[in-house]
Amino acid sequence: MSATQTLAARQLPGQNCGVCGYRTCDALAEQLESRPDLIKRCINLSDNRVANPTTPVSEPQAWRREAPKPVFGEALIPASSDTDTLPVSGRDGGPASSWTRSQGRGCARPASEGTLDESPSRPDGMSWRDSLGREFDFYLEHFPEDPGPREIILPHNPMLTREMEIKVGDLMIGRPLGMSCGCPITHCGVAVEVDARTGVIVWCVTGPLAPREKGFKDIGYYIAEGYEGLITQTRTEIKIGMRYFFQPRLCMLQWRHSGLVNYVNRSADGLQVRLEGLWIG
Amino acid sequence: MTIYFDNSATTPVDPRVTERMVPWFTENFGNPSSLHALGRQAREAVEHARGQIATLLGARPREILFTASGSEANNLALLGTIAAGGPGPHHLVTDAIEHPAILETVHALEKQGVEVTILPVDRVGRVAPEDVAQSLRPHTRLVSIMAANNVIGTVQPIAEIARIVHAAGVRFHTDAVQAVGKLPIDLAAEPIDLLSLSAHKLHGPKGVGALYVREGVALAPIIHGGGQERGLRSATENVAGIIGFGLAAELADREMAEDNARLVGLRDHMIAGITAMCPSAYLIGDPLRRLPGHVCLGFAGIEGEAIRLLLALDEAGIAASAGSACSASHGAEPSYILRALGFDPFRARGALRLTLGRFNTAGEVEHVLEVLPKLVVGLRRIATPRP
Repeated sequence: MSATQTLAARQLPGQNCGVCGYRTCDALAEQLESRPDLIKRCINLSDNRVANPTTPVSEPQAWRREAPKPVFGEALIPASSDTDTLPVSGRDGGPASSWTRSQGRGCARPASEGTLDESPSRPDGMSWRDSLGREFDFYLEHFPEDPGPREIILPHNPMLTREMEIKVGDLMIGRPLGMSCGCPITHCGVAVEVDARTGVIVWCVTGPLAPREKGFKDIGYYIAEGYEGLITQTRTEIKIGMRYFFQPRLCMLQWRHSGLVNYVNRSADGLQVRLEGLWIG
Repeated sequence: MTIYFDNSATTPVDPRVTERMVPWFTENFGNPSSLHALGRQAREAVEHARGQIATLLGARPREILFTASGSEANNLALLGTIAAGGPGPHHLVTDAIEHPAILETVHALEKQGVEVTILPVDRVGRVAPEDVAQSLRPHTRLVSIMAANNVIGTVQPIAEIARIVHAAGVRFHTDAVQAVGKLPIDLAAEPIDLLSLSAHKLHGPKGVGALYVREGVALAPIIHGGGQERGLRSATENVAGIIGFGLAAELADREMAEDNARLVGLRDHMIAGITAMCPSAYLIGDPLRRLPGHVCLGFAGIEGEAIRLLLALDEAGIAASAGSACSASHGAEPSYILRALGFDPFRARGALRLTLGRFNTAGEVEHVLEVLPKLVVGLRRIATPRP
């Protein structure tokens, strides 16, 4: 053991607290011979002393008073074991089975019926169930030309739309709160339509990277008034005026939603719909 | 069967503690203030428990005041110190990542005219002792810095800070709710004036806490009544809870080294395993100077969806948390603690806290290492595109 390391080991407090991963200060001191950096594991030494392990110990002791005698037996201190070298085995964290939207495309029936691919289950054989095991009727996809799912929203204080001078192209964040689609996840997106008179904003929900890099306007809590998107795969007939359970494809929680279909239009990409009166679950 | 990795929120009561408590509900139910035999037995048991806790802390028994919680102890420490200081001006120093039981109390005092300094922390959540030194003013009455953070697990340089504060003639309080029973605390050696602790964080029962008040420190009560606890905390003592607290403290004192060495090994194995299998994972808090069983991770790009990870883990039978259980109702908002560490508003929305305790096993850690990476991959696959 070198002189420096001996000094470092001597600085250990002898409290045998185990916080360094060794059961006793002596056990840590033995390891310091080959791994002097382990001294950093001692929380009882100040940063200054860890950085300069040769600094002599000069703790102010004037304040110390006589400690009471312990009322219990001596602490049980078994032999040391090196907890720093626990093996870490590799694991396969590969992706689960995939299923893409294009697999479900195709409009075989007139738009008036509004029914697409009424297979009872998804092409990969999985059931029409959300992450909580609840059934739903269709997936709601976003328009291919949009950067993300299209939501019609209203800030809880609609005046914010004007006060914050929200305009098309603005990056925003906020969280859907309350009766309509209360979701625990903060959403990010880009404004695509703004109605300054009513405060209603249409935005496309996106990931956080662009707001993080470019800045954003925080509208706080908002109400999700409606969704617009495409149905390319459903297991039931879609009729205007009916309420359905559906699964927004990119919902992070993969929770089913319910909503009233009040607009239907057949397109080459699928059935365009607008859903209002939204609820989660 | 749930695997419990939320020991910073609360711990399972040690069966030895439960067993010790039961007779004090059913047979020895006396009020410690009563003069009859049942009352005297209760008094004796309460005082024995006081001694057990004092021994764990290196304190004198009469310096331990029982409260109903760590939060109450924190409130008493801050409100009581300022109230005992007479007319102002008063100045109080704390830091940005304290528990709400401190920060909200500080804000309440600020509204009453107390001058407040909130110190910043560095990227791992540490308060710089030199910042504390520079914050002190002639009318500073109290400095309150937590011993270890409940969300990120970082351990503060309490001994250094306490000496700086003591040298300036200012009272020093530490919220040690997360630290007691896990970190060595010797109040005979450190000039700490007030220290808060809670039973349910060290495998004791809920509903009982304590405040260490060093002899000679002036404190005004915030609960008035029958004059229990030297007149500083009136209310009939929670006898069974206090007895459980006492035994939990004794067990912690006796088993701390063994528990810590094992938990640090499991903790480091968990951190290494998750970060190896999830390249996006990053450790939050100090990598070494952290609580023995405390793991706090972020996952780059899906921080805002930490709650989904929690729910998925819950479905897999693993109890974890996104941060403080005390602020779970605000879980969708950016964490003030992560913001204080310099995280942007997005990264500050997501942290996964896995906290190990006495009853966790290596097999349970292996199970998490098997489940969690798959959940992270699955979550990433449904991440939304960027505009």
